[in-house]
Amino acid sequence: MDRVLVRLRRFRRLFLLLAVVGPGLITSNADNDAGGIATYSQAGAQFGYKMLWLLVAVTISLAVVNEMGSRMGVVTGKGLADLIRERFGVRGTTFAMLLLLFANAFTTVAEFAGIAAGLELFGVPRYVSVPVAAVMIWLLVVRGSYPVVEKVLLSIGLVYVTYIVSGLLAHPPWNEVLRSSVVPEIVPRRDYFLLAIALIGTTVTPWMQFYLQAAVADKGIPNENLAYSRVDVLVGALVTDIIAFFIIVATAATLHGHLSAEQLANMQAGDFARALTPVAGRFATALFAVGLIGASFLAGNVVPLSTAYAVTEAFGWERGVGHRFTEAPAFFGIFTGLLVVGALATLTPGLPLVSMILLSQDANGIILPAILVYMLILLNDRRIMGRYVNGRFANTIAGVTVAVLIVLTAVIVLSSIPGLPLSE
Amino acid sequence: MLFLTEILGAEVIDVRQRRIGAVRDLTVHVQEPYPIVTGLIVSRRRELAIPWSEVRTFAAVTREVALRSSREEIESRRAQPDDVWLARDVLDKQVVDTDGRRVVRVNDLQLVDSGGRLLLVGADIGVRGILRRLGVEAFAKRLARLFGRDLPMALVSWEVVDPLNSVPDSGRPASDDAVRLRISGRRIARLHPADIADIVEELGAKERKTVFDTLTEEVAADTLEEMELEDQVSVIEHMDTRRASEILDDMPPDEVADILTELPKDVAEQLLGLMTKDEAEDVKELLAYEEDTAGGLMTTEYVAVSENLTAQECIDELRRLEPDAESVYYVFVIDGDEHLKGVLSLRDLIVARPDQPISSIMIRDVIAVHPDDDAQEVAAVLSKYNLLAVPVVDDEFRIQGLVTVDDALDAVLPESVKRKLPRAH
Repeated sequence: MDRVLVRLRRFRRLFLLLAVVGPGLITSNADNDAGGIATYSQAGAQFGYKMLWLLVAVTISLAVVNEMGSRMGVVTGKGLADLIRERFGVRGTTFAMLLLLFANAFTTVAEFAGIAAGLELFGVPRYVSVPVAAVMIWLLVVRGSYPVVEKVLLSIGLVYVTYIVSGLLAHPPWNEVLRSSVVPEIVPRRDYFLLAIALIGTTVTPWMQFYLQAAVADKGIPNENLAYSRVDVLVGALVTDIIAFFIIVATAATLHGHLSAEQLANMQAGDFARALTPVAGRFATALFAVGLIGASFLAGNVVPLSTAYAVTEAFGWERGVGHRFTEAPAFFGIFTGLLVVGALATLTPGLPLVSMILLSQDANGIILPAILVYMLILLNDRRIMGRYVNGRFANTIAGVTVAVLIVLTAVIVLSSIPGLPLSE
Repeated sequence: MLFLTEILGAEVIDVRQRRIGAVRDLTVHVQEPYPIVTGLIVSRRRELAIPWSEVRTFAAVTREVALRSSREEIESRRAQPDDVWLARDVLDKQVVDTDGRRVVRVNDLQLVDSGGRLLLVGADIGVRGILRRLGVEAFAKRLARLFGRDLPMALVSWEVVDPLNSVPDSGRPASDDAVRLRISGRRIARLHPADIADIVEELGAKERKTVFDTLTEEVAADTLEEMELEDQVSVIEHMDTRRASEILDDMPPDEVADILTELPKDVAEQLLGLMTKDEAEDVKELLAYEEDTAGGLMTTEYVAVSENLTAQECIDELRRLEPDAESVYYVFVIDGDEHLKGVLSLRDLIVARPDQPISSIMIRDVIAVHPDDDAQEVAAVLSKYNLLAVPVVDDEFRIQGLVTVDDALDAVLPESVKRKLPRAH
């Protein structure tokens, strides 16, 4: 009897972990969406291993920021939008929500562009794939069958594990890879800075902060289990960025140096797919496309849905997929509106899909500092966080992230003024 | 009427016209039914609590709070830790109903000045509150009007809100600090017209106008009905005539007639001219009678059906007419020339066989009064025969209207007694 109890007690910790695990891992998985794949691939193809150090730095930032968000969710039991409304009033909230809507409209465009690019590799024109995908997403969510599909889509995301194999099989110069991972190297070019903003913005996205915290708050995790929730987000961040790391390595090893400047400026999804050749051979394109479509479709559900939740939560409007359209018009209006905007923008004739995706990640990176500042103020408020306020380490990392993004954005803005260095 | 967010940020000026700081919050003492504002929290280097009794005036336009005393006399006071702060503890919070469902947010708080005391009477849960705080309420109202829409207020009376908890202890994170309602979210009624009437009656003419401007015509009419005659007259007098006529259109003709009698003749005639033809004619008929007679008390909203109907046909006719609750006490039976032939109760109609002619079940000896009978006589008749309402007939026994028991009581009860009566809620 005693032995059973001991064994049970040993398992208890595992059960606790399993009960808490989820939000962090799922969020991170959804993080490698169209925006992520395109940005990491572009980084590898264009700059070889020279952005690896930035990815390592961003991983630390991602882990810290996700930990902050999930801690806030556990301690307050409220979503980020809730807390912003209660702390910053209507004006501050409206500003935050406008930023979120703007960033997420861009992200939704990116997801549709990902779906279109993936299906174009199978010969399906975007004028068919995009409207069909938009209608499918709408029906999935409004009919409430999304949770079932989520699991399928999450498992499709596992396709990207093949990047690790591909990266290993490509035999990259490991010395250089390791050195680039720790020694910062900045290429003083406008497109490097733009891609740097996109890389940060696609890894630590604004929408993810709202989604993660709401998911954690919904689980109702007690403060005592904060440690397990921490494990969840840290592992999630690590898994995301290991895949991101190998996407860069695989594309750098297979594509970097083989493309002209003009090709680099107009990358196609098919080019990125070649990074999977070492592992998949002639099936590389199909493998890449399936992963891209799955990840984009998943995020295409999550992003508009979490936006609708965040905005309605902030303004106290009726929300939830269990309602009818007329009962929660704002909720369904925002959700539908984002889908329509995303689909229509993607259907613009002649729009280069990959450039569009990269641009949307820049928008996210430019908006992220504002969202992080909101979070930092909340996390340092003792009335809200009690004894779980932010420590100096978290404040420093998040603060540096904010500062770096602001500096990078300033550089981009300044460089667009003719006559100044970096301008083209 | 005042909203919390209109006073937040206002400049506080002492008795010698020196600036003390800006209003950061209002503190309230929780009491039933409406919490009372006890003081201002003014932001300076430190938090400064100023008791509400020190406040001389608040000017909404210039957004200035004038104090009775000087800066030096106030300096020493500090905020009490157990006060409830409206902006900090209530504003923007999630409203939760009895089932624990998250319903809406507190977008603003409605305060009413009642004899020098400022009371918290309601919570604004609608889009108007959000627009007000973004500084675009007036603009949005004009925009909505452009599309022929009204931008109605969504207010919940503070009476349905549970007493506020005092401040959560500062060591504990404020995770369960939602505002709780005593009713289920599905039943969150907008502030009931009777409640609005209570509030409005406490206000000056100008504030009344502002309140009425925010209401839809239907709600305005219902609210006006709940008010005393002199207040009704004052509200209508201060209102734009076109809007006044539209509100009067939504009221029972007898109430309208009462109000118009109290107004200057030219104003009354102008209003009658603007009202819809049917309503104006009903009112004009009533205006012909003396105030304290059956004719003056009666309403022309009564239910009369033809004597040739069967019970079923009569019920169908009622369904089509959808009469107000007040006028359906009795169903009157008339012939082709409006002669009153009999009366039916709803019970009689329902228990009768569907094909039974109503002429066979109606009561033929109808108790009725004459338009010139004075109010005392009408009340006596109602009391003697235990009636809820009595029809008014002319010399040839043609039906003219109906006096309900509450209208008759209103006319005969002395003012002093009426004031002592508890308000029905």
